Amino acid sequence: MTQLDRVESLVEGERATAVRHVPHTLQVFESHFPRFPVLPGVMIIEDLVEVANLVLGDGPWRLAGASRVRYRHFVRPGDVLRLDVDVTSRSAGTATCTATAKVDGRTVTTVRTLSLHRVETGEFL
Amino acid sequence: MRFHLIDRVDELEANRHVVARKVTSHREDYWRELGRGMEMPAHLVLESLCQAGTWLVVTSTERRLRAALLSIDSVVFGDPVRPGDVLTLTGSVETISEEIAVLSGTASVEGKIVLEAQSIMCALIAADQLDSPDETERMQHQLAGHLPVLRDAGKQAIGAGGVR
Repeated sequence: MTQLDRVESLVEGERATAVRHVPHTLQVFESHFPRFPVLPGVMIIEDLVEVANLVLGDGPWRLAGASRVRYRHFVRPGDVLRLDVDVTSRSAGTATCTATAKVDGRTVTTVRTLSLHRVETGEFL
Repeated sequence: MRFHLIDRVDELEANRHVVARKVTSHREDYWRELGRGMEMPAHLVLESLCQAGTWLVVTSTERRLRAALLSIDSVVFGDPVRPGDVLTLTGSVETISEEIAVLSGTASVEGKIVLEAQSIMCALIAADQLDSPDETERMQHQLAGHLPVLRDAGKQAIGAGGVR
């Protein structure tokens, strides 16, 4: 399931840092945008949820919500995205994290609160 | 996957509100199994609403500008979106200028809200820097070409100052 390219560090239940490469071959760049290819901001949220799944374990955990999401710079082909996720609270079926994405040490995206719910077997079936 | 997540614009009042649809299909390739049946990834439901906002900006500015995501105050996801669902995307403008637009909105399936977002802020960028004007025009006509009356209403709004 994961589309991350490398896990740099992982402290289960607490925090992790992972890397995702952004090659020009990604199909998304054909339509977003032909004259100025940028990684869609929502895909960075998706990546951070994947890192959160690594940290939390015992999943899968699904994205239930987010607050104070800030995009500061475009992510472009050739960039290496470094994704940091810290767990801020956790109960049996819910968790919240704070998350940051950087390129070359420069913060490109911050998420104050990433809310996740653990998928229960048979949920909604 | 082609990253166009709006299939038709159903209502549009320039600088004010938009209602658009995304029809989902088993034939699309983004479906995900998280242990509760196939579902549309949450971030793509959010992107659908953002793209509804983009076409509101494109139409309101007669294709001069389009939107790039800057921030989201909050977003909450509800029940999953299943293959075959029709997403109804409703966006309302909070503020809009030549540089910035802020919208809030919902995504719903058969009247049930599956996503609610507060204050999606976008930077408005010259559309021709991102895509060819011909392609933007072609897409706009494909999505909203059946809305002549509302397009006319939009021109009046733009003529009256446009920014609310």
